[in-house]
Amino acid sequence: MTDGRLERLLRGFGDVRGREARAALALSAYFFLITAAFYIIKPVKESLLIGIHPAWWSYADLATALLIGFVVALNARLLDRLPRRTYLTASLLFFVASLLVFWLVFDMIRTSQVQTPVADSSGILFLLWAQTVILRAPLVPVIVFSFWADVFIAMAVTQFWIAVNDVLHAHQAKRLVGLFVTGGLVGGIAGAAIAFLATTLKAVKVETLLLVCPVLLLLALVTVNFVYAGRQRIDAAAGDGRIGPAAGAGAPAGFGQVLRHRYLRLLAAMLASAILAGTLINYQFKTAVKSAYPGDQARTSYIAGFLLVILAVSTVFHLLTTDRFLKTYGIRWAISLAPLALLLGSAAVFVIPAVLALPWASLVRGADKGFDNTLSQSVRELLYIPVPADVKYRAKIFIDMFVSKFATGCGALVFLGLRAVRNFDYRAGQDLAILREIGVLTVAAVLVWLVLTRLVYREYPAVLKQPIRRKWTPADEVIREHVDEDLTLKVFNTIQSRERSTTLYLMNIFDLVRRRDLTPDLRGLLGLKRDEIKARGMDALFDVGGAAFFPGLEEAVDDPAFRREIELVFLLPVYQEIMAQRLGEMAASPAELDRIEVAKLIGRMVPNPPTIEALGRLLRDPSAEVALYALESAAVHRHPGHVPLILDQLANPMLRAAAQTALAAYGPGVAALVAPALASDGTPVEIRRALPEVLARLGTQTAADILLDGLGRRDEALEQALVDALAKIRLDRPEIRFSHKAVRLELLGLVRRTCEIVLDPPAGPPAEARALLDIRLKRVFDLLTLLYPPEDIVKAYQNILQGTAQSTDYSLEHLDMLLDRELKGLLLPLVDAGLSPEERAQRLRRALRLK
Amino acid sequence: MATPLIIKTREVSSIVVFDIEGEISRQDTPQVTLSSLVQDELDRGRRNILLDLSGVGFIDSYGVGEILASYKSIQNLGGRLKLCRISPKLLLIFKITGLDRVLDIREDCSRALESFSQA
Repeated sequence: MTDGRLERLLRGFGDVRGREARAALALSAYFFLITAAFYIIKPVKESLLIGIHPAWWSYADLATALLIGFVVALNARLLDRLPRRTYLTASLLFFVASLLVFWLVFDMIRTSQVQTPVADSSGILFLLWAQTVILRAPLVPVIVFSFWADVFIAMAVTQFWIAVNDVLHAHQAKRLVGLFVTGGLVGGIAGAAIAFLATTLKAVKVETLLLVCPVLLLLALVTVNFVYAGRQRIDAAAGDGRIGPAAGAGAPAGFGQVLRHRYLRLLAAMLASAILAGTLINYQFKTAVKSAYPGDQARTSYIAGFLLVILAVSTVFHLLTTDRFLKTYGIRWAISLAPLALLLGSAAVFVIPAVLALPWASLVRGADKGFDNTLSQSVRELLYIPVPADVKYRAKIFIDMFVSKFATGCGALVFLGLRAVRNFDYRAGQDLAILREIGVLTVAAVLVWLVLTRLVYREYPAVLKQPIRRKWTPADEVIREHVDEDLTLKVFNTIQSRERSTTLYLMNIFDLVRRRDLTPDLRGLLGLKRDEIKARGMDALFDVGGAAFFPGLEEAVDDPAFRREIELVFLLPVYQEIMAQRLGEMAASPAELDRIEVAKLIGRMVPNPPTIEALGRLLRDPSAEVALYALESAAVHRHPGHVPLILDQLANPMLRAAAQTALAAYGPGVAALVAPALASDGTPVEIRRALPEVLARLGTQTAADILLDGLGRRDEALEQALVDALAKIRLDRPEIRFSHKAVRLELLGLVRRTCEIVLDPPAGPPAEARALLDIRLKRVFDLLTLLYPPEDIVKAYQNILQGTAQSTDYSLEHLDMLLDRELKGLLLPLVDAGLSPEERAQRLRRALRLK
Repeated sequence: MATPLIIKTREVSSIVVFDIEGEISRQDTPQVTLSSLVQDELDRGRRNILLDLSGVGFIDSYGVGEILASYKSIQNLGGRLKLCRISPKLLLIFKITGLDRVLDIREDCSRALESFSQA
């Protein structure tokens, strides 16, 4: 079958893309086979255990808890030392061999003799000895088998995820997890069905079921080797997100990782509490089944049937809801659903009648297993995504194989303790009371689990965003860090003014040196004429002392007493009177220089009517230079009557920045004058486009509200300026609040319009459509900063644009967590580079509810 | 009288080069602005832009504002703006005002072009 056909076939079960289809199918088959084997082994194990004294249930669990550490250590050592393929092959062959041995042992117990032909005398001697030992202590094989079965499932599942991590990167794994879980569930159904049918029809003895498993495991061996054979090919497409081999993945290393990371500690505690609750629920179930089914064939049949139903229901639930639930409600509710449901279910034991004990126990146990097989399993894997690959490798093995068994052991101890304290051995016929007493502890364990889910969820976003780094610093931040923009512009104006006139230059110099942040280099530089700067070499420029236009000027204006004197002169009534008389004349002078000088000078004058009138005239001056200085003076006097004149200058690109500065200098009150101009269709679009920057510089709540209101008018010509201004306010003034409802509404509108670019690209070269999409996406992310932590959004945007495969994965995952359902439904297909154009379009249409 | 500004555009391996001559300064008659030309290139999907300033004698506050506005537009979209062959005198002013720490200024234009391909 071609990759394309296979991809289409698998699409129904998971988000399979391109060349990963064969690997995805092989991995699903691998998971199918090991779960099928396990669900044949499981009813046999459960039935044999239930058949012995209940106290031994705990001992079997305790044995697993105590000994699993050794298995973990051995497993880690093998994982470390052997090539991955050899390790997996050896493990599977070991399980095949041990299954044959268990069959032989249980067969001996049932028949009390050796029926298997042996090849030589030494073999006969061994088997006779073994027969003697086994038949004298028939409990031991059951306990050993129970331990072995626990080791098998723990190792087989861990090995499966190791194989997944080896061949797929995190985001691929996340997409395909649904497919794998489906494979596992179907495998479980097949295994449970075989066990159920065989025991119900009494076709084979209980232990003979074990002989089916080696066949399945040998097929799994073939499958896993196929997966690794294709690994090299997959590697090329996997990028840098693929998880490398585990280095030193020993149990102590895993333990150390869990101890070091708070998130992993919480994750381990959450899993432990879930397993503790599950263990207690299992004891309730076993108690109810033991009471109802004393015979092993019927008991095995019931357990196999129970598992079959659970798995069938789990499969349907998984196929219909897991993905949808995760997409709709996210991880937050996905990790809470199981404990919430089990809390209610466990509490129900206090109200049910005795006749309903077995159905109730089966229902609660079924719910526990059902969630474990579906939603909880998917969520658990997702919760590991933000953990760095090397840490995850070690920690996951430790948690899955050690912590989980430790929790089972704790459950076993609790059950043993309860049995002793409440005398369960002497309370025959009080099954419901016993179930209720265990139920008290179960409810407590589920409550702890529920609390831990909240703690894990609170920690998850922080861990998820840890590896996401900025790819570049936003321009405004770079500028703010290195440059005083206002001072720099004034310096350039001052240098330019020196060739215009000494008066103008001195006034500019006087303005500049009043600032305390002038560096010696800058002071030196300002002692040079513009022509000199043009003419002189760089070396000479540093030697400014002797070349200054006004030697000694620097020292003079630096003297506070001298500066005070100048200020006083400007304020002298006589000076103001003389200047007022000349203002009109100079403002109307045909000489541009006169007008420039007076425009500058007005900024130092008292704002009486002649001054204001002259300034008004200069603000309308056709000379850009005159208007520039007039705008500077207008910023000093802030006369309301000048606002319309300043607004007019926003249309001139040469004066726009100066006009914006002048308007912003008016302070918060100017917002009321700016708002109508922004809203009016009668205002030229160049002016309207320049107004958001003014409001951004005001940075008030009113300014933010006006901007958001302007965005609501959906004027494409103003959109960029409005979004830029809102983002600037968000960055500069974190205390400003934006109406979530209003921003979200605009965001949705903007994202929808962005989707249209993908679904219906504008005519022209594809590169331009792509550029338009990029610019729109930037606006979307800028608006997102109003609703979500700006740093998170900036990092996500930058990594989606230019990050590595891994950082892009994390960014997408983080957005997936952060955004609400509708928003992410629209935005994620737009930014997920892993989607094919067809898939992207299909998802967008679905999100837009288009046919 | 300021020298009129002339901006010629060429493309070298997906990098847009603006060869600028004259003064980037405030004129009495509005003309095509550097930032609007940069925006046009961004709209075309170009993200890497080099300003060859070898023909620029002087830049006033308006010119600096234009360069900074261009830098903001490019940088915020993940692109890169570089300047080359800036006169020693202008470079001095850029250094003293700290602009050289914001703008990527290279002596040689061909090296500047090569540097776009580096991470």
